[in-house]
Amino acid sequence: MADANSSDEFYLRYYVGHKGKFGHEFLEFEFRPDGKLRYANNSNYKNDTMIRKEVFLSPSVIKECRRIVSDSEIMKEDDNSWPEPDRVGRQELEIVIGNEHISFTTSKIGSLMDVQTSKDPEGLRIFYYLVQDLKCFVFSLISLHFKIKPI
Amino acid sequence: MADIEGEAVDFEAEEDDLMDEEVQEDERAHIPRLKSAIAGGAAPKKTKGRGFREEAHVDDRNARLSGRFDSLDSHGGPGPERSIEGWIILVTGVHEEAQEDDLHNEFGEFGEIKNLHLNLDRRTGFVKGYALIEYESFEEAQKAINAMDGGELLTQLINVDWAFSKGPIRRKRGGSPRSNRSRSPRRRY
Repeated sequence: MADANSSDEFYLRYYVGHKGKFGHEFLEFEFRPDGKLRYANNSNYKNDTMIRKEVFLSPSVIKECRRIVSDSEIMKEDDNSWPEPDRVGRQELEIVIGNEHISFTTSKIGSLMDVQTSKDPEGLRIFYYLVQDLKCFVFSLISLHFKIKPI
Repeated sequence: MADIEGEAVDFEAEEDDLMDEEVQEDERAHIPRLKSAIAGGAAPKKTKGRGFREEAHVDDRNARLSGRFDSLDSHGGPGPERSIEGWIILVTGVHEEAQEDDLHNEFGEFGEIKNLHLNLDRRTGFVKGYALIEYESFEEAQKAINAMDGGELLTQLINVDWAFSKGPIRRKRGGSPRSNRSRSPRRRY
């Protein structure tokens, strides 16, 4: 397994956003190799505040993040036949584990229906659920540490 | 959603990038210049994904992530970091059928649990495998870690540790030079 050695390099970044009536609205977070978690949420709707937070995570949290990623087997997938980013939005998932480096892009996924009607439902489903699990993890960390509602 | 001028231009740029890639071999070398933060490792990377071919977005991304990020006042250094209202610990190896009550029962004896997040796997609906627990005091959290790390919960081995840290993780293999930006496999052997 690619993740056998937990001292291997690990990096993860997720972005979802679009540019529209309210400017560039996006959510982005990254886990950096030194343990720093960065979180940015820019919504210009009604109030134009940009939330940008960062905090260092313990090695245990990084390890759990790695576990979630490797359990998903996302590194085996390919974004070749996923829907391309469009006017509605764009998602990016970039992960480095050991000597594997993926940088996937696709459109926003509204629901599982979008997944099922795509050309690669198995791969896109893995992406879809992994992103939700990661967001959930990050939202918990950020909201517990800073006492803000991330969404 | 109707008013999306300007964005179209942005995405058309991608198409150009794809074509450039064919023509300008030199450009390739630094296409995966995704972030200096991840350029440390010595081993060549196997790369995969469209993100490597969309250079137009790299500057965007660097701009987004280069600004100032708020953090709680931290003095660097090693050791756990206090959160805004208390101390957070991470429990891993949590049984997929665990209930919040199970965690309250086990971890409540070290102090009042101010917050508990027991997140679910979005696909299966079972517990994802971790829990985040907040105590008001450092001592309560430390007691929970000492007593429960390596212990058992619902027949599964669990690990318990601080969630946040005052400073960066120290990597074993020394300070890796950040200057080595190219990760293009063809330039390595």
